This record gives sequence, C-alpha cells and structure tokens, in this order.
Amino acid sequence: MTALNAVTAPLLEARNVRVQFGGNVAVHDISLSARAGEIVGLIGPNGAGKTTLFNALSGFVRPAGGTVLYDGRDITRLTPQARARLGMARTFQVERPFEDLSVLENVMVASFLRHRGHKAEDLAYSVLERVGLSDRATQPAAELNLARRRRLELAKALALEPRLLFLDEVIAGLNPPAQAEMIVLIQQLADSGLAIIMVEHIMQVIMTLSNHVVCMAFGELLAEGDPKFVANHPDVIRAYLGEDDD
Amino acid sequence: MTAIAVKRPRALSFGNLWISAGIIAVLLLYPVFFGKAMNFGVSTVLFAGFAMAWNILGGWAGQTSLGHAALLGVGAYTMTLLAIPERGPAWLHSVGIGSGAAIAPWWGILAGMVLAVLLSLVWGSLTFRLQGSYFTLSSIAVALILRLVAINEDFTGGSQGLFMPDLPTFFGLDLFDRRVEYGLAVGFVVITLIVTHIIRRSRTGYALQAVREDEDGARALGIDPARMKLIAFAISAALTALGGGLYAIYLQAFEPHTLLELPLSVQIALMAIIGGRTSLQGPVIGAVVLAVFGEVFRNLFSSANLLIYGVLILVVTLFAPGGIMGLFSRRGRRLGTAR
Ligand SMILES: Nc1ncnc2c1ncn2[C@@H]1O[C@H](COP(=O)(O)OP(=O)(O)OP(=O)(O)O)[C@@H](O)[C@H]1O
Ligand SMILES: [Mg+2]
Repeated sequence: MTALNAVTAPLLEARNVRVQFGGNVAVHDISLSARAGEIVGLIGPNGAGKTTLFNALSGFVRPAGGTVLYDGRDITRLTPQARARLGMARTFQVERPFEDLSVLENVMVASFLRHRGHKAEDLAYSVLERVGLSDRATQPAAELNLARRRRLELAKALALEPRLLFLDEVIAGLNPPAQAEMIVLIQQLADSGLAIIMVEHIMQVIMTLSNHVVCMAFGELLAEGDPKFVANHPDVIRAYLGEDDD
Repeated sequence: MTAIAVKRPRALSFGNLWISAGIIAVLLLYPVFFGKAMNFGVSTVLFAGFAMAWNILGGWAGQTSLGHAALLGVGAYTMTLLAIPERGPAWLHSVGIGSGAAIAPWWGILAGMVLAVLLSLVWGSLTFRLQGSYFTLSSIAVALILRLVAINEDFTGGSQGLFMPDLPTFFGLDLFDRRVEYGLAVGFVVITLIVTHIIRRSRTGYALQAVREDEDGARALGIDPARMKLIAFAISAALTALGGGLYAIYLQAFEPHTLLELPLSVQIALMAIIGGRTSLQGPVIGAVVLAVFGEVFRNLFSSANLLIYGVLILVVTLFAPGGIMGLFSRRGRRLGTAR
C-alpha cells in the first residue's frame, strides 16, 4: 500500500479546512487526503466535527477557510450536485430516503446521473443486489427499518458510480452478520479502485478496513497515521476514555 | 434456489395508461349524454387541464403555486389582444412588426405560451433559491401585480377587460361553437395527460420527485433543485397558458376581476390537491368533483367560495393528504410504483 501511495497522486486532498458556525469552530484547519483504492478512517468522539467535515468536503457547508482539491482541481466552491457529477458520493449519517418512492426508484434517482432508461433501471437493480436490498425493491422507502435504510443510503451513493465515497456511519446499528457483510462490501469497493473516507465509531471496523486513520476531537486533529499508531496514541485514548456515554 | 424464477421488479413505466384512456373516453362521451350542459362541460374540462398543468409544478416538484391565474391570464390576454386588430396587431404594426391584421388564435396561443414560459423562468429563478413557503407567497404577489397591470392599462382593456368580436375558423370549425370548444378542451386535457405520463417515465420525473421529497438528498445525487423546479414551472406555465387561450375563446369576453383573481388560482390548486397531487390523474378527478360540487351548491359558492375552499383545504390536508386518488392506494402513493 505504501508503494502505491508513493506513486499515485491523491484523488481528494483537503488542506486546512475550517468550518465555523457563528463563533463556534466546528472544524479547525483539518487536512486529509485519499487515493484511489485507499480507505481512510475518520474517528473521534461525538461532536468532534466528522460529519461537518464531510459536509464541507461534499459541498453542503461552505468552509470558512482552506481548500478542497479533487483530481487536482480546486472544488472548494462547487455545489454538492456539481461534486456528485464529478464522481464524489456520500451517505448521510441520518438517512435521507425519498420516502414516497420505492427502494428501486430511490436508487434510480441516482443511477439516472450517468444512464438513461432501462440502463439506469438495470444499474439500480444490480446495486440493490450488491447491498442485499433487491428483495425490497418495490417496497416504499418509508417502510424500511434502520439497517435497510443504511443500505439504501449506500446503494444510492454507489449508483452514482463514484470515484470517491464518503461513508458516514453506515455500519453502526447493523447486526453482526450484516456488519460483516458490509465490511466485505466496503473492502471490495476499495479493491475495485474507489477512494473511501469513512466515519465509524466501531474501532474494530476502522482497524480492519482503514489504510490510514485520522482522529479528531472538538474540531481539531488529534492524531493520524496507520490504524495501530492512532489507536494507541495517548491523546486518542484519553479522548475516548473521557467519553463515558458511548 | 435457482429453480425458482424470481420476477425482477420494474420501476420504469409510463404509469397506468388505462386510467387515462378511461378518463378520455368518459370525457368524449359527455356531450352524447349532456349535450344541453356544454357550458359546464367546457369549463370543467378546461379546469381539469389547468389542474393537471398545475400539478406538474405542485405535485411533481412539490411547489404550491397560488398564482396560476397569472399564467392562465397571460395565455388568455395574449391570444385575445392579438386577435383584436385594433389592439395587439395595431401596436405591433406601429413598431414595425406585421401588417396590423388580426393574428390567428393558434399563433396567439403559442405566443402566450412563450410569454408564460418566460414569466415563469424569471419568477422561478428569483424565488426557487428560497426554500419553504416563499414561492407560494410570491405566486400570490405575481398574480396580484398582473391583475393591477391589467386593470390599470388601457391597452389591456382596463377593468372592463376584453371582448373578442370574431375569430377565424379552425380547420373549417367555428371556434365559438361549444362543441368545438369542448373538443379543444378535451385535447388540452389529453396533452396534459401525455406530458404527465412522459414525465412519469423520465429521468426528469424521478429528479422532480427527489427534489419534492428532500432537496439536500437530491443534491447529493447530482440534481440541481432550483433547475428542476424551473423546468417543472416552465412546463406547467406553457400548458396553463395554452389552456388560458382556450378559456378566453370559451369566455369570448372577460375582465381582470374574474380572470386574474386569487380564487381562480386557489380553485386550480385545490382541484389538484383534492384529486391527489401525488397521483397521475388525480387532478382531473379533483376538477370534476369540485366542479360538480360547485354546480350543485351554486348559490352557496357564489357567496362564500373562499370560505368553502378554506374548509376544503383543511379537510383534505387533515383527513386525506393523498387526495381522492390517495384514498384508493395505500398511503396515498400513486406517482411511483411503490405499493
Ligand atoms: N448546522 C450546524 N449549525 C450549528 N452547529 C452545528 C451544525 N452542524 C454541526 N454543528 C456543531 O458542530 C459540532 C460538530 O458536529 P458534527 O455533527 O460534525 O460531529 P460528529 O463528529 O459528526 O459527531 P457524531 O459522532 O455524533 O456524529 C457539534 O458541536 C455540532 O453541534
Ligand atoms: Mg456525525
């Protein structure tokens, strides 16, 4: 992996991204990068600013400072929809299904980005098969349980046929067999060349999947490096121990 | 496992074409049985078309307009002004366009549709960036402004409105003949149904529904909500102006107080909402039900129509958010394939 990293330029590169809500600095000059085929784990206690960082990288909040480069191009001011068209996909931590549409139709909204007619439908269905939701294709999205809503989030992101994927807690809340399936799927996606940045609270998942881990707390970078290094970092341990409710 | 052939579900479809075919058949049979009530027939069928056109924006894109009378008015006024030589054509001639002769209603209607689309694009691009009810509020204002213009300008006939003394024949047909007008009104409804079925199957239709359900969720999938709403508005405006031109022919004489009033806009919206804004053909059903209701309780309506509309809006939103068609499908969903 290190050899690969040395030769390929990062697909996404965030430099000193800063997000402010009024006087509150939610993300404090965070930098990170992701290469094709790489899984970057983003961890940190509740309220650390992980989702806010995702929002800045995917265009949903405008950073107060810093730059975001995608494929070498400055996209800091692009809209979310423009970023999606460039190949950036995200899931939402709080799932956002189009409730009045069926599961298949939800995914077709995404697959229509790059395909027309039956091709879009075929792609949507094959993505549903991939995430294990094809048996629910005709069900209204509003009727899905939490675990399936998570899968639907992932299916919509995948149907965009992205090059870069932000996953905001797609595994937490699944039962253990489903977790295992999801882990295999995410690894497959990375192996097929996607750059993945994932937020996850389950340490074991992060340790298994990530090539690189970034830990933040209160909007600041605590530590980054390979998974073992970050997991054993004293600041990281302190930040997690200080949080009793998780 | 492999022995069982699992039927792969399909989502891509034009929707239930049989219901539309049935509706068209019923509309075509009406004059056979109710040849004496053609006034009611023409206006009801035109309003069915208005409600369908309204729903492309109101139902598919989820943007409630209470100003569609403005678009209807643009269609009616443009067509009529161009048909009266001493008004539109004379003015055009004075600026070097045309010969000053009356312009045929079909060209007038086309011109009205173009103007309505332009109006919707300007109006939409100013208001669709704002979320929530701003669009609805702006729609009331736009109709109000157009009404004031129509009342205060001599060119538009002021508060007296306009009267069309005559029209050329349309493929040999007298346009002031109620049966001809009825046929044109049904044609209008057919066009709105066709457009709706095409939207139902298209990428645009999916994107519009996504925007209606969740704008940020749509943006994450590469959809520009403001752009989709503009597209829906432009289509809705063009169709509404088309109907507006036909309505002007039916009325022959009209004044701004009746054509550009809030109750007319509310009536159109209410027809779609009562019928079921998330159903394909619901607006037609709503238009017919409300028209029959209005005819039966004519006296009541003429004295307190806004009050009745208010009560109806409350009843529908509280007890049947999916409208009449929604009562027939679980959770009121019909636009999609979800069952
Ligand atoms: N739109 C907003 N307006 C104001 N403050 C916000 C907004 N979004 C997030 N915040 C604040 O920013 C901080 C970081 O929140 P964020 O959701 O990014 O944390 P997180 O790391 O994703 O937490 P969790 O693990 O609970 O998902 C929190 O203090 C939150 O209250
Ligand atoms: Mg979060």
